Amino acid sequence: MSIKHQNLVVSAAPHVNNPVDTAVIMRDVCIALVPALAWSIYIFGFRALLLTAVCMCASVFFEWAVRRIMHRDSSTIKDWSAAVTGMILAFNLPVGLPLWMAIVGCFVAIVIVKQLFGGLGQNFANPAIVARIALFVGFAGKMAEWSVTGKMAAAILNASPDAITGPTPLALLAKGAEVPNNAQMFLGFINGSMGEISAAALIIGGLYLVFRKVISPAIPLSYMATVAVLALCFGLDPIFQLCAGGVMLGAIFMATDYVTSPITTAGKIIFGIGCGVFTMLIRQFGAYPEGASFAILLMNILTPHIDNWTKTKLNGVEKGGKK
Amino acid sequence: MSMIKIVLAAVITNNYVLAKFLGICPFLGVSKKLDNAMGMSIAVIIVMVLATAVTWPIQMLLLVPKGIGYMQTLVFILVIAALVQMIEIILKKYIPSLHKALGIYLPLITTNCAVLGVCVLNIDEGYTFVESLLNSFGSGVGFMLAMFLFAGVRSRIETNDYPESFKGVASTLVAAAILSLSFMGFSGMIDAIFG
Amino acid sequence: MEKKSKLQILTNGFIKENPVLVLVIGTCPTLALSTQAINGIGMGLSVLFVLTCSNIFISALKKVIPDTVRIPCYIVVIAAFVTIVQLVISAFFPSLNDSLGVYIPLIVVNCIILGRAEMFANKNSVIDSALDGIGMGIGYTIALTLMGCIRELLGNGTLFGVTVTANVITPMTIMTMAPGGFLTFGVMIAIVNKITKGKVREKQQNKCLGCPGSAFCSEKEEGGEQ
Repeated sequence: MSIKHQNLVVSAAPHVNNPVDTAVIMRDVCIALVPALAWSIYIFGFRALLLTAVCMCASVFFEWAVRRIMHRDSSTIKDWSAAVTGMILAFNLPVGLPLWMAIVGCFVAIVIVKQLFGGLGQNFANPAIVARIALFVGFAGKMAEWSVTGKMAAAILNASPDAITGPTPLALLAKGAEVPNNAQMFLGFINGSMGEISAAALIIGGLYLVFRKVISPAIPLSYMATVAVLALCFGLDPIFQLCAGGVMLGAIFMATDYVTSPITTAGKIIFGIGCGVFTMLIRQFGAYPEGASFAILLMNILTPHIDNWTKTKLNGVEKGGKK
Repeated sequence: MSMIKIVLAAVITNNYVLAKFLGICPFLGVSKKLDNAMGMSIAVIIVMVLATAVTWPIQMLLLVPKGIGYMQTLVFILVIAALVQMIEIILKKYIPSLHKALGIYLPLITTNCAVLGVCVLNIDEGYTFVESLLNSFGSGVGFMLAMFLFAGVRSRIETNDYPESFKGVASTLVAAAILSLSFMGFSGMIDAIFG
Repeated sequence: MEKKSKLQILTNGFIKENPVLVLVIGTCPTLALSTQAINGIGMGLSVLFVLTCSNIFISALKKVIPDTVRIPCYIVVIAAFVTIVQLVISAFFPSLNDSLGVYIPLIVVNCIILGRAEMFANKNSVIDSALDGIGMGIGYTIALTLMGCIRELLGNGTLFGVTVTANVITPMTIMTMAPGGFLTFGVMIAIVNKITKGKVREKQQNKCLGCPGSAFCSEKEEGGEQ
């Protein structure tokens, strides 16, 4: 099966509208991730680049190796999808995470979540999300160790003396400590997972993707709107809630994954609202301080039902696939 | 409030299938089609609640006072088997339409470990009669929720081009792993809401 | 099946028809209890005992038990032996009792035991049934213990409670939790598929084979296709 053909089978919608193949789309996603990457290198230093490079290389290697082992066409690494998964996963990790743990994460994402289900387009859950959660639950200690490196110390120390220990804004909020102001939150003078600190940089990337028609704004907007509305309901600062944790990264880059999100606009809006609701519920009541990744995974799982409810043409595809 | 807590905890945080591993056989076996999954789940909810309503009094009013608590396993499974038979006969006679919809699942339920499990666990947890009923209801709904979600996932991945070794049960189990991973996000939530 | 030698009957359950990894029955306790290797042995031996005894008993009584009520009769026999195991474990191995918990009484509804009663014991001689019970029980114990070892080592860095890698490599706790159970089980089945070159997958298609309700189950599944 050629790469193009495989994509047409599994997710027809974007390819009908866009005469571009996976590689072009994935390259656009990579470009869109660059501002956030640049920002995290500026804040966290060289280590951020190293972590990203390791994750990308490991993901591409696993993609190549596992397809080799399964006697399948291993040229799928050329479609950039593994590289994008690795990059997004790196963005989800604390910058000081031991590299072997990051590689375990890549293994989970590429081998278990993606290739075991048949490869690109056939996974029902977003690989990077599952890997993040698996690492988060599996290495709870290391995944919550927000080390202060590079410019981080200087940038944060000016803002709040508390930050020398490096907790994330959400952790500060949970402790009832003073949190960074909204400008710091938005621009990214905060601690957190490598790529998710700067809402501004992520939004630039998101606008690029929308402009290039790679993603539809339906999911990010409905997700963010729901988070903001619920934050107001819970008496929280909506801008803080939007800029903290993984909401921006999740809404723009992970919830919009074609394969694991609904096809119609109505479905996308339901998906976004669901993500927002679960994110805020977990943030408010759950044992984990951050709920964005769990929320997106839950909605990934609900996606087949949403597709069904919103009556897409997927039914026709399914029937055709069966015979 | 504590009543709602019991139900919600049984549905979400202590989900029978995804956290306690009870009722895995139907979870894997009958989750291919949404309709079947829902029919099975409804039958499980009904049998779970009725079985609890019968076994709890038997344990507390009969076995414990007579000092033969160790007969629990034997008595419970017989009661459940008899109960399922009776439900089937009654449905067949009086509500044939419902029997047509659910009848097929009933024989399966006798050997569904979730039903015996919920009866035994209600006793082990020291729940009162009403709490036991609520817990059973919640557990049944939790089973239904897991079935509902998994039926969706399976409809999505059914036609996938799996690696040779992972065709069949193996890939279904890996999918279940991801589903149970998503439920971990709810941990601690029920306690936080109800204090 | 009648043609098999005694040794074949015994070893059948080890790998070729391993109840957990090939027939995929009795999944609930497999997933729940394989968090530690020691649990696997405890549960495996309990099942071994119940399975052997009930196989012998049912095989001996196969002419007496009326066909129409055989399933309830089997359940009574099995429940009686399970009660014995329950009492013995709670008396002599209280810590094992705590970790196995509700899964001991649930041996009653474990498809392996009913399945072997239905598929083997009521058709074969007492000695063959005993050998089948022992073989299947050992196969179950092997599978459970192996899974327990894998999950304990990866998730806790220990083996049978002895620290192995915990000091060197941070254990990935998720392996001892629910998702790790599903994943390990799935991967082990895939490995068995690989070793046997997919021959066993045929058996998994009607995996409820051991379950008395299997007829309904598969019928409905296929009927559901329209």
